[in-house]
Amino acid sequence: MADKHSHAGDDHDHKAAPMVEEITDYEVLEIAVRELAIEHGLFTTEDHRKFTEWAESIGPAAGSRLVAKAWTDPAFKARLLKDGTEACKEVGVDWAEPTGVGTPSDYTNFRILEDTPTLHHVIVCTLCSCYPRPLLGMSPEWYRSTNYRRRLVRWPREVLAEFGLILPPEVEIRIEDSNQKCRFMVLPVRPQGTEKWTEQQLAAIVTRDCMIGVALPRPGRTADVHPVHEARRPVHSASEHGKAAE
Amino acid sequence: MKKNETLRTPSTPSRFKVGDRVQVRDMPNMFYTRTQNYVRGVTGTIAACTYKDLIPEDEAFNYDGRLEQYYIIRFRQKDLWEEYPFDNDTLQTEFPDRWLDPLETGQNRKK
Amino acid sequence: MSVRSDVDLGRIALLEAIRREGKEWDVIAPRYGVTNPDPPWRTSLVAMCDCLAVSGALPALERRSAEDELTKSVYGEVSAPESELLALVHTMLSRGLVTEGDLASRMRTVRSRLEAA
Repeated sequence: MADKHSHAGDDHDHKAAPMVEEITDYEVLEIAVRELAIEHGLFTTEDHRKFTEWAESIGPAAGSRLVAKAWTDPAFKARLLKDGTEACKEVGVDWAEPTGVGTPSDYTNFRILEDTPTLHHVIVCTLCSCYPRPLLGMSPEWYRSTNYRRRLVRWPREVLAEFGLILPPEVEIRIEDSNQKCRFMVLPVRPQGTEKWTEQQLAAIVTRDCMIGVALPRPGRTADVHPVHEARRPVHSASEHGKAAE
Repeated sequence: MKKNETLRTPSTPSRFKVGDRVQVRDMPNMFYTRTQNYVRGVTGTIAACTYKDLIPEDEAFNYDGRLEQYYIIRFRQKDLWEEYPFDNDTLQTEFPDRWLDPLETGQNRKK
Repeated sequence: MSVRSDVDLGRIALLEAIRREGKEWDVIAPRYGVTNPDPPWRTSLVAMCDCLAVSGALPALERRSAEDELTKSVYGEVSAPESELLALVHTMLSRGLVTEGDLASRMRTVRSRLEAA
């Protein structure tokens, strides 16, 4: 598999892209099962269209803007900490979209997790990989893997080290396992050397991985890079590390 | 709350506030549950009160249509896992009121 | 995970035939010099999962716990998002939401339609 890059400020780019010149059974299967599901009344064409458009519209740019605004506007940051769901509207994100009651979690309540020099947050959903999609777009494959979900809660420092992030023991690592209807995102510490930067310059270094908590923002770092070297099968760490998260 | 719920939807009493020490109950599972195995029986501290909501029907033996307070609980990693080597690390996750037991009053102190 | 799934882990002939072809996006896209990281149907799949959850036909927690089990067993060698599509369809077949016969037949119709276009 090639390296998969995610750039800060990326939305899903839907300019015309070259297509593969064959129709795979996967493509055919997706259409077939969807048509049958609609015919059986499992959902409507209209709802599917609405959710497809929504999935295509979301990306990490909104999250980057949110962080940059919080870094430069203390009054906004205070509002964000007090009522995350409401404050998101100020960067154009309404958690009630697209259905009026939110995404399939029904009611969602957004909370920002503020890092400090002695407190570092990282998000996970061990049960099913819930993710703050209105702010970050669709979750990356590694976030959904049992490898990440089981091991992060049990061995957070090992997992972060695999992403290249090593923190001293004095720093509290706080894992947020989103098992109910709250959705979370990390507000990283603003890095040194950015004191006179504009919001746009700041947003460019706030990548998706920084807002999940597996990377720290820094000047010059505008992309998340994951060389793929892990096994395709999720790691079952029970034998290696003792009792893992079940 | 969903759009069609109103403030008149009855609530069960909210028993806890931020700072209270609580223990996660180990109730028998319905087929699907949102209470992870790794927290059952563990003691933590109420970090936040989040919202009131209905319990998912497939989680409740006695589903009665009442709203319940949800809380974020903070645990020490050392309390969750055997031989966890770092003193300061913590984990937070969320529960409705019914999944929590108060500790004895005398032991209820801020973390 | 804290959730047991009731999905039947037995292999399904129709899905095995698709899997064995090995035509995942990360294999075929490079052959055509296409650099999009995901196949064009991915957002449609995501939307389908959301719709099934909203309608209650297949709640997210149940779908994901079945997917966890299926992607470590039956579809262990398949990359995402194809593994997610196979797991979804497998779960729907297991629950009787669709039948293998209907699916095979519809796939033939859809393929003819796409190839004629």
